[in-house]
Amino acid sequence: MTARRLQFAGLIVALAIAASGVAQAAQPASTDALTWLRKMADAAHTLDYAGTFIYQHGSTMETSRIVHFTDASGDYEKLETLDGPPREIVRDNDNVTCYLPRSKTVLIDKGQRRRFPTLLPAQVDGITRNYDLHTGAVRRVAGHHCQAIRLTPKDKLRYGHEFCVETSSGLPLVARMYDENGKLIELFAFSTIKIGGITRDMLESKYAAVSGDWKIERSVLSEHAVKGDGVWQVEDRPAGFARLTEVQRMIAGQPQPVTHIVFSDGLAAVSVFIEPLPADAPRTGQSRQGAVNIVTRPVANHLVTVMGEVPAATIMQIANSLAFKGQ
Amino acid sequence: MDKLSALMDSELDAQDARLEIRRLNDHEELCATWETFHLIGDVLRGDRQLLSVDFAARLRARLTEEATVTMPRALWLPRAAVYGLSAAASLCAVAAIAWFAFSFSGSPVGTAGQVAMTVPATGRISEYLIAHQEFSPSSALQGLAPYIRTVSVNQDEIGQ
Repeated sequence: MTARRLQFAGLIVALAIAASGVAQAAQPASTDALTWLRKMADAAHTLDYAGTFIYQHGSTMETSRIVHFTDASGDYEKLETLDGPPREIVRDNDNVTCYLPRSKTVLIDKGQRRRFPTLLPAQVDGITRNYDLHTGAVRRVAGHHCQAIRLTPKDKLRYGHEFCVETSSGLPLVARMYDENGKLIELFAFSTIKIGGITRDMLESKYAAVSGDWKIERSVLSEHAVKGDGVWQVEDRPAGFARLTEVQRMIAGQPQPVTHIVFSDGLAAVSVFIEPLPADAPRTGQSRQGAVNIVTRPVANHLVTVMGEVPAATIMQIANSLAFKGQ
Repeated sequence: MDKLSALMDSELDAQDARLEIRRLNDHEELCATWETFHLIGDVLRGDRQLLSVDFAARLRARLTEEATVTMPRALWLPRAAVYGLSAAASLCAVAAIAWFAFSFSGSPVGTAGQVAMTVPATGRISEYLIAHQEFSPSSALQGLAPYIRTVSVNQDEIGQ
């Protein structure tokens, strides 16, 4: 064995030792909760299941039914609302069809979508840095046992999350989001759930056969990544939020592309949208949509919209410190 | 193991890559191998100093970068499209959101002294909301959330 090769072999051994050390060092007391979180992240995308769930935000509550199916040919999903006017969304991999029987309209949306069936190292790192993870009691939800997991924010810049994860499959049966005062702001919970035993025919639309003469609208997703740091910088970035990506995307009714910058702490995301200032007067405003806070303000002859499922103060900090660094 | 290295070298097609990533996710020992592969790759590529105090942190940081660049191209659109989910359709969800609780009259959320004023056209905010949720890891975790948020109906509509 040459000296060089010996050196390489030694390096590999050193790396193996280092890697095992790293693995241990990176496993705090929350390992168990993290394991559940990983299992959950995977389950929601890879399991076959059908169920009825309630979704509550503010004083609004509604019921929907979902069927999810995966095989070697891909990923399929059907969602129908059970309250109010009927709506049905059928997803066949990247193609999404939305049936609106009341207005006899079919919306067809094509385009590649982001999809990754697991928690990435960056995400796990952000989550453990910004949240305390704990496992809670095993409860019973929709006839299944589930393990409670709590993610308590380490500061006031983000919301708290609680999940209840079906113990054998990892499917999240309950998800709750709490604001900075501990008040529940969003709840999702299955009331009935069947895991496994799903067949493709259960995902067929009940409107497909009768919608032949309905109005059809089509759209195609369009965006491309921006290389480097871009010309917009957040000078006072909230602690724990890393810049995730920047893309240029086309928005309906907008001739010029809109800049979309995303920040994330591993669990929550904040989006910054920047468009040329519209001809009508500059507008500043704040609003809230479910768990999502939204702030709009003009900056450097552009209109900036910042939104995310984080406290309003976090959104404001980003909106107020956004600066144009271009020519 | 062969497939794992093929995955790392972006040699698998989208279907195989997806299956392999699932397998990776199911087996912790494969995950460890995956990370070790990256570690070795790092050292072979660069002049990384080993075993320094902040080794773990830098390793993590590097793995973070790697996760975005070594995935099979077929799976990755923009380089930085890190977080994935089964996202709701944009147009579809925009239409759904038109029913949705988009009453900006409610709950101004600013701190004292800040008054909620006007906001951009609802349609544009809807599109932004959907674009945002495609990137939201918490939505991705639940799998369902983007749909839930975007097909939710408002109370007025229920009352009709």
